[in-house]
Amino acid sequence: MSAYYLQLVVNGIVAGSVYAMFAVGLTMVYGVFKFINFSHGELITWGAYLGLMFSSPPFSLPIYLAAVPALGITVLLGLAQDWFIYRPLRQSNPVALLIASIGLSYFMRNAIRLIWGSDFQTFNLPAARGMSFGGIYITPVQVMMVSAAVVFLTILYLLFTRTILGKSLRAASDNMELADIMGISMTRVTITVWVLASLFAATGGILLAMDTNMDPMMGMASLIKAFAAVLIGGAGNVWGALLGGMFIGVAENLSVAVISPGYKDFISFALIFILLLVRPTGIFGIRGGVR
Amino acid sequence: MGKFTAGFICALSVFWAGAVFAGTVSVGAVTPLTGKLAVYGEGFQQAMLLAAEEINASGGINGDTLEIVFEDNNSTSKGSVSAIRKLITIDKLTLVFGPAASSNFLAICPIAQKNKTILIGAESAAAEITKCGSYVFRVFPSDLLQGTGVSELASSLGYKEVVLTYVNNDWGVGLAEVFKRQFLASGGKIIDELAHAEGKTDYRSEILRIKRHNPKVVVNLTYIKEGATILKQAYETGLNTQWLMGSASKSPKLVALAGKTAEGIIGTYPTFSQESPEYQAFKTAWEKKYSGKKTPIFGEYNYDMVKLTALALRDAGSVDADTVRESLLKVSQGYMGTTGDKSFDENGDVGATYGRWTVKDGAIIDYQVEK
Repeated sequence: MSAYYLQLVVNGIVAGSVYAMFAVGLTMVYGVFKFINFSHGELITWGAYLGLMFSSPPFSLPIYLAAVPALGITVLLGLAQDWFIYRPLRQSNPVALLIASIGLSYFMRNAIRLIWGSDFQTFNLPAARGMSFGGIYITPVQVMMVSAAVVFLTILYLLFTRTILGKSLRAASDNMELADIMGISMTRVTITVWVLASLFAATGGILLAMDTNMDPMMGMASLIKAFAAVLIGGAGNVWGALLGGMFIGVAENLSVAVISPGYKDFISFALIFILLLVRPTGIFGIRGGVR
Repeated sequence: MGKFTAGFICALSVFWAGAVFAGTVSVGAVTPLTGKLAVYGEGFQQAMLLAAEEINASGGINGDTLEIVFEDNNSTSKGSVSAIRKLITIDKLTLVFGPAASSNFLAICPIAQKNKTILIGAESAAAEITKCGSYVFRVFPSDLLQGTGVSELASSLGYKEVVLTYVNNDWGVGLAEVFKRQFLASGGKIIDELAHAEGKTDYRSEILRIKRHNPKVVVNLTYIKEGATILKQAYETGLNTQWLMGSASKSPKLVALAGKTAEGIIGTYPTFSQESPEYQAFKTAWEKKYSGKKTPIFGEYNYDMVKLTALALRDAGSVDADTVRESLLKVSQGYMGTTGDKSFDENGDVGATYGRWTVKDGAIIDYQVEK
């Protein structure tokens, strides 16, 4: 019986590390540009579907090679989002940016439907028995999910603490105008934020699709989890988002022990409501800023 | 051209049309001739035409020719609605053969019921169709019967305790209800039951809950994609169990998606004897008319539908919906078609016998009890 609960925790950590990757990207964009990017979810979906495109004919690359161009194109999509939509709107009302990002997310989701259809798609990886550790099962893809999160977030940590670019990022998120006046290149900051956010989203998307399947709504579903994680960590707080993602993953998986698995997704919604009502600044209580 | 000539031609054409169409009994058919089901629709149409041809060769409907007016539905509910509206209002038909796919059928059954038009289906299995109304019939067995079939399967394999999971929609819940009732009545025990949402990509939490009971057998009433995902993820999670499934999972697509994890699952599906004289006669006739073509999926049901309808029309001696309805109920009693006994019950449903399937070496085959 204890193996059951342990398995739930393991599944929670696996799910949580992917949520964390989504949430970190979402919160970084919020931290610097001060708007919630709804189309972040579609970067997740596009990453997965581009992975599918490059792993099926005529390219037929093995998935780990197909991931390279898929990640590249998703990063370009992220940059294009900013260049064509968000940059021209930068000086306007934040609500305009929010609405634009919702519109963009619809547009990108339906483009997926148009190209690949609404049905499930799969990478068709052969089924393999997961590795068993004393009755706890974990598949190689799940190990990859956790490792990817660890590697990416370590690099992010080093970037923030050891490089000038990271310091400029933090400065920009504290006060974009002031940072600009002080001579920090906003172009470099902007590009870095979008590259990182898109890269995290697409990698998570591909891993998620490898673990299960993909459908045009997958990004939308993951975005809700990322929202909850961002709220827990405090909007704009990268490390808060990381912990928030982990928390959501473990909480929703452990919930299965007491509620029907069909209502698992309800946990993140419930957390969003509770946090908005009780502690809108997040559990860590820090307002704004990439820290 | 003078007024007179125009009038004359008009009168002539009316007379001519009357001459040609006198002695014709028309029945409508909403058929997927384009769209995603078109690949099956052609076979349905050919089977219906084969039956009509045989009926006309043997005297038609009391001397009149039976004609089927095909209306394409583009494989959609919307298309089905336009098609039946046209058949009812423009062609003034009182009897329509319904479309494939339960959702399309369900979309038009209220229209048929409201307009007092008889609707007969040959491929729609959803349990809800039973409640469509007094003018709606089908020669295909309702999925509700399948619940009983799966219960008997579990019992006959010697399983006393099962974990039950089903897809959380009207179809799955209805099917699970019947299964539960039957299985409990036969002395079985349900250790745990849980619904799983339709169209998810991750069922690991559900699987963990099943695995917790370490069940010998799991009854999984679900569709192809959901079924394949569950089988695959259960295997990854180290769940060793016997899976029992229904006919909605019986598909090469499931085997393709689930791969080796589909090996050994056992399921039921509505079947009929291919040894019966009725089936043999159908097969011979089919090969004669469409030589070299395999008999299409559900072709036998479409054939039976037209044959039975013709019988009712002969008996009724009119196309009045209420008269035909009465005689459909009457002539179907004890009627043996190519797909077995087609006796309609008061809901316009037929009975069924169930066969068993399993997956062996990546192929779906009939399940034989190992001795």
